[in-house]
Amino acid sequence: MAEKKLGDYIINVKNIYKTFPNGVKALCDFSTNIRRAEVVVVIGPSGSGKSTFLRCLNGLEEIDSGEIIFDGIPLDDNKKNRLKIRREMGMVFQLFNLFPHLTVLQNVMLAQQLVRKSSARLAKSVSMELLEKVGISDKVDSYPNQLSGGQQQRVAIARALAMKPKVMLFDEATSALDPEMIGEVLDVMKTLAKEGMTMICVTHELGFAQEVSDWVIFMDEGKIIEGGTAEHFFNNPQEERTKLFLSQIL
Amino acid sequence: MNSGGTQNARLPSSVAGNRFLSTSRMPIKDIAVYLFVMAGIAYIILRGASEQGYNWQWYRIPQFLYTLEDGAFTLGPLLEGLKITLHITWISMILTYAIGLATALLRLSDSIIGRIVARVYLEVARNTPLIVQLFFIYFVVAPVLGIDRLFAAILALSLFEGAYASEIYRSGIVSLPKGQWEASHSLGLTTFDTYRKIILPQAIRRVLPPLTSQTISLIKDSSLVSVIAVYEMTMQANAIVAETFLTFEVYFTIAGIYLFITVILSQFVALLERIFKVHQ
Repeated sequence: MAEKKLGDYIINVKNIYKTFPNGVKALCDFSTNIRRAEVVVVIGPSGSGKSTFLRCLNGLEEIDSGEIIFDGIPLDDNKKNRLKIRREMGMVFQLFNLFPHLTVLQNVMLAQQLVRKSSARLAKSVSMELLEKVGISDKVDSYPNQLSGGQQQRVAIARALAMKPKVMLFDEATSALDPEMIGEVLDVMKTLAKEGMTMICVTHELGFAQEVSDWVIFMDEGKIIEGGTAEHFFNNPQEERTKLFLSQIL
Repeated sequence: MNSGGTQNARLPSSVAGNRFLSTSRMPIKDIAVYLFVMAGIAYIILRGASEQGYNWQWYRIPQFLYTLEDGAFTLGPLLEGLKITLHITWISMILTYAIGLATALLRLSDSIIGRIVARVYLEVARNTPLIVQLFFIYFVVAPVLGIDRLFAAILALSLFEGAYASEIYRSGIVSLPKGQWEASHSLGLTTFDTYRKIILPQAIRRVLPPLTSQTISLIKDSSLVSVIAVYEMTMQANAIVAETFLTFEVYFTIAGIYLFITVILSQFVALLERIFKVHQ
């Protein structure tokens, strides 16, 4: 892929541990750093802690120990810090999680008005612009359950983008979609990547990883087994675990 | 009626939309069945009464509902009582909803003290008889707070029904997918805004049917406040029965009035459900 310029570190993750109440060790001494404008793809077998890592980054899961610093702000017990960080991080979920009682437009407008305190007019114009960008501008007054899965996910991306986040987190954004709808969502994600959005994507779409990622992380049992550029990663993996995993899914 | 409304709310919209068609599908058969059941009930009542040698005197009932003298319309004791009943239930209903919601939110909150307070209130209110609570509030709490008989009745009813309402709210709130919370949090909404804009608007639609049942219980339970001599409808009925021995006539009459009110209420809520459920 074309060379692009990465910025300084925006997220520092240092030695985080996360054990679930049922005793499952989801993250074990996990450390990584993410640069501005970097597209990081996290892959690994199910249960390897990929989603947990993502959910720890914006505080949806609490870490047991370790340190997460986002753009200079530590993610700790301070509620204000947590809200500040969440405001700057958009998240897209596997099951979309749109608000079913609000229209598409209201879904995208809501947080701008409540959190960013935008006026209704400004929020609406920003929302319309984003919905146009993801190709949903003709369905703004529909309710989420009137849309296809791919359309819902694109609305969810627009909803997250409406907060003008510095980082976007994608938690298996295409895993719940019918095969013919995966492409339309990946296209939106690729556009974002090319525009220089900092993205961390948990995904099984290796084609996507090869095309747009700057860095690929392979995780297993709560640890990073191997990390590298897509080229290195897919053509010349070093670790046995990685080779085994790639041989199973390729 | 209430259960009928609930079932309709669960039907896919294409079926629920045909509600009126489906009820009129076989009108003759439906009416025949209805009349048959009603005739059976009437027969049992009349038969039971006649075996006791009961002397029906329905003609004496209207005077207890209203009187027309010289063109002047005056409410009789039963309808005067109904006014008090409606007054009590109206205020209690609002308080029940408020207490129930506050308790549910406390139970779901992060505050340990809040959870304990809510839990203790809930267990006491649910696990002791309403009549005991009425006496307790009237004789112990009311003198301390300096509140009158009527408000003591309202307070006791609201606290009792509020406990049940809180469990209804709570189940409605926890029944929402966790993803709704996560989506809202990931956008940076505060817990307060998440409840206000995301969780409660969806939960209310889910709890409307059980909350209606609770409101109907409240209307019927309001008859119990007669024990602290609040002259609501049941108290008036008791007084008339004691005076005239028109036991069946009077009690059937007020039963009919209670039924009338609760049917109107559940029809109103069924209408609300149809308006609300569109996009759920």
